Amino acid sequence: MGLEPFEAVMSAHHAEIVRYLRRVTFRSADAEDLSQETFLRAFRAYRALPGDANVRAWLFAIATNLFRNNLRSAKRRRAAHDVVKSRGREHDGEGPEGAALFNEARAAVEQVIDGLPAKQRAAFVLRKVHELPYEDIAKSLDCSADSARAHVFQAFRKIRKTLGDQLPSAEVSA
Amino acid sequence: MSPKVTSCRAIEPDLVAAAIGEASPAAVVRVQHHVHSCEPCLREMERYQSIDRVVGDLRRAPAGADRTDTALGELEYKLAELRRRAVTARVWSSPLGPILIARSDQGVVLVEYLESARGAAASRMLRGRGIEVLEDGGETEQFHQQILEYLAGERTRLAWPLDFRLAGSDFQREVLQVTAALPYGAVTSYARLAREMGRPTAVRAVAQALRHNPLPIVVPCHRVVGGTGALTGYAGNKLGLKERLLSLEGVPIAHTRREGHVVRDAMYVVADHDTQYCVPTCGSLPTLPLWRLTLFASRERAESSGLAPCTDCRPDLHPLSTQLKL
Repeated sequence: MGLEPFEAVMSAHHAEIVRYLRRVTFRSADAEDLSQETFLRAFRAYRALPGDANVRAWLFAIATNLFRNNLRSAKRRRAAHDVVKSRGREHDGEGPEGAALFNEARAAVEQVIDGLPAKQRAAFVLRKVHELPYEDIAKSLDCSADSARAHVFQAFRKIRKTLGDQLPSAEVSA
Repeated sequence: MSPKVTSCRAIEPDLVAAAIGEASPAAVVRVQHHVHSCEPCLREMERYQSIDRVVGDLRRAPAGADRTDTALGELEYKLAELRRRAVTARVWSSPLGPILIARSDQGVVLVEYLESARGAAASRMLRGRGIEVLEDGGETEQFHQQILEYLAGERTRLAWPLDFRLAGSDFQREVLQVTAALPYGAVTSYARLAREMGRPTAVRAVAQALRHNPLPIVVPCHRVVGGTGALTGYAGNKLGLKERLLSLEGVPIAHTRREGHVVRDAMYVVADHDTQYCVPTCGSLPTLPLWRLTLFASRERAESSGLAPCTDCRPDLHPLSTQLKL
């Protein structure tokens, strides 16, 4: 088996999985719970993983499944709607960088991302933030690479449509 | 104007793709050609480009590193805890029927004879012990292989790392450890083990401890018999397996009425902690109770346990096989 120790996998990918889950879930507490669950699940299945498996894509797929299941059960509890409504970008101001670095354009874009349907949001974040290939996104979302791509494009169109004329100017940058 | 509108609509997917850097070279050319003569689409593309730049900014944003570190620390703790509880297990086939082998980080935890090959879920021993059974990625394969060699008579030692976590008590753990030291081809009694442990009255407790041996074969409880030489019990009600394992080691077994017993008169004998082995008729040996003796199936087995032939009865000159025909 060509697999590295699980602890190494964990320290290599933990931060980005947390980051991904923070972006797609509505509360950072959820993101932390789900990322923990992602890695504990991964650990349980890790030894049965083929030696040539793409561990990173596999972890994103586990995280995506958990996030979507979590969303479904949240919906069942009829709580999702309220959570969506009450969501500020809770985690944006948390880091030492503070809220000042997040300009209005970005806040606007993030707000639209938050409002996307779960599948579109996941596809969009996996592609544009974590730069996963469409084939891997497709596995995460249990769809074809073409529909993964369609989700991302649709997300862009929605952002474009929602922002309308309030679009950020071309000079916006990091 | 309608041809223009159609054309804009047709170019839209390529235009979005080009703006966010996902268009093929051919599509890029098509888009360039279109926006060259279409001002609104050029604007549209610029808007998508600005959105893509903002989105790129998300990618570069730090993600609350402090909290992530705390979460990682917590996760590492949970993982260590899970590792402690976890075993990997697989059910293997063997000449003795399906056998489940489970191992932890420390060593082999369980060898269990199963009635069917339904998998680790069929294990009674792993149930309700706070043990988490993980899918086996080949960790138990070497042990299975060695059991097959052992049962084929091609191997006499199973030098496995053992994890006694399934021992129900310190006493059982001690019984298992003492039993693990019994050499191949040797037979002793529950009473002798009890004495060896300094608990001469704990004969039944020793028998019970071995009845629930979580590591049969490798902890060779089949080499332990009752005070009369009767096979007594094995893994619940699997006396047939006990007889089979003993026969494999060359231990002679006879049947009286319903019970099998080892034929003490057909085995070499060591009394107490003697360093020499004898034929069973040597000196006062025939009168000694089984709790003072260890029996050996062959001279070879006795000698590979470090014993020398007795200088009185000279089993090396007068081996049992010439005296007794079973």
